[in-house]
Amino acid sequence: MNRGSGFSEDTHAYFDGDRPDAAERDRHAADQFAQATAAFVQGEAVPGREVDRAVMAVIRAERRQSAWRWFIQPQVFRLRPVLAAAAIFVAAVGISMFGGGSAADPDGAGNALTTVLVRFELRAPGASAVALAGSFNSWDDEAVPLVRGSAEDLWTVTVPLTPGEHQYLFVIDGEEWIPDPHAHAQVDDGFGQRNSVIIVAPRGVVRS
Amino acid sequence: MRSTIVLLAGFAITVAAPAVALQQADVRAELITRGAPQGFADRVATIVAAAGEAGLPTAPLSSKALEGWAKRGRVPPERVLVVLGDLANRLEAGRDITVEAGLDPPPGSVVAAAAEALGRGMTAEDVAAILDAAPTRDVAATGLTVAASLAAQGLDRAAAVRAVREASGEGRPPEEVLEFPSAVANLLAQGVPMADVARRILEGGGLPLPSTPGVGGGRPSTVPATKGLPPGRGRRPINP
Repeated sequence: MNRGSGFSEDTHAYFDGDRPDAAERDRHAADQFAQATAAFVQGEAVPGREVDRAVMAVIRAERRQSAWRWFIQPQVFRLRPVLAAAAIFVAAVGISMFGGGSAADPDGAGNALTTVLVRFELRAPGASAVALAGSFNSWDDEAVPLVRGSAEDLWTVTVPLTPGEHQYLFVIDGEEWIPDPHAHAQVDDGFGQRNSVIIVAPRGVVRS
Repeated sequence: MRSTIVLLAGFAITVAAPAVALQQADVRAELITRGAPQGFADRVATIVAAAGEAGLPTAPLSSKALEGWAKRGRVPPERVLVVLGDLANRLEAGRDITVEAGLDPPPGSVVAAAAEALGRGMTAEDVAAILDAAPTRDVAATGLTVAASLAAQGLDRAAAVRAVREASGEGRPPEEVLEFPSAVANLLAQGVPMADVARRILEGGGLPLPSTPGVGGGRPSTVPATKGLPPGRGRRPINP
């Protein structure tokens, strides 16, 4: 706690010059320190408490003024692993609660509790590659490729979808976007074209 | 220990505060990853952030932005931004209707479904009518989605709204209401005229008869459907 002098660590730090700008920030406290020292030299007072209080006043003032530095200067923390795990849990809960739409619910339509396997098929004579892009995969035209079936021009894929509405298109050879002729509906995509729509029910929707 | 508490508090604040910023950063980063110009990504992020700050669901906007960029071969970026602005306006209108219907704070799923319904030509009165009949927010969101889909399938808009309202009134759960579009698709695929489809929906109050889980879009019935919607077409079930 101290070095045998009766002064605190902070006072020693002050004496050692570790806080060089403290006196400039609080001349009054510095004056108090000088007066207390003079009194001691002249045998009028016992050193320690007064000096300590004066120095600590400077230090506390400095701490108040530079509190913001804590946020911008490197800090060293001692963290219990169990508390770190708790922090991660809080983060996960926070993201799930406040994250708005999620990957499991890209349309913000709810019903993200289950998934249903849905089979998509397209006859695409002459195609060398067919993919499925839609609201369920952020319209990534490479994420869900279809596989050529036994029939030469039949392409298929089965994907898990959440109950609710999904819009999608087939992408042929990475260039041509075409609707699904077997979709429940075709709707305006807002860009002057049409998207296919499928409504997935929790109990065994099957597409062909 | 004090440092630990400070660290935990800072961590929580950092995570909990910026849901909107998270969405904004997500779509911006995703667009740039996919090769979009930074200026375009920034403008999209600005629109998404503004919507989030207004309390609107941002997922539909992010999805539409990614869709527009994916179709960039045929859709110029400026057009994407216009479409996003229109969608934001519809989300705002959907939120207002939802609040007026008594859902306050408005659930994002309901607001998104209302905006989608408005975008497909349903009126504010249609949306309000469906919300008024819905006993829960899940039913409300599902009802809006299904009604919009039925209308897109060619069903008369009033009939679509009425079918969903009646289903809500009968206490049908959302998972049953979600089967309407499949059943309608099956009827149409069988060559049933749209007028008859509408009649059977309204007479049957949506889906017809109690039955076992089945295949195709609808659920096969053990009784011939003399009214209402038919069973599925007997496709091979993948996830019965």
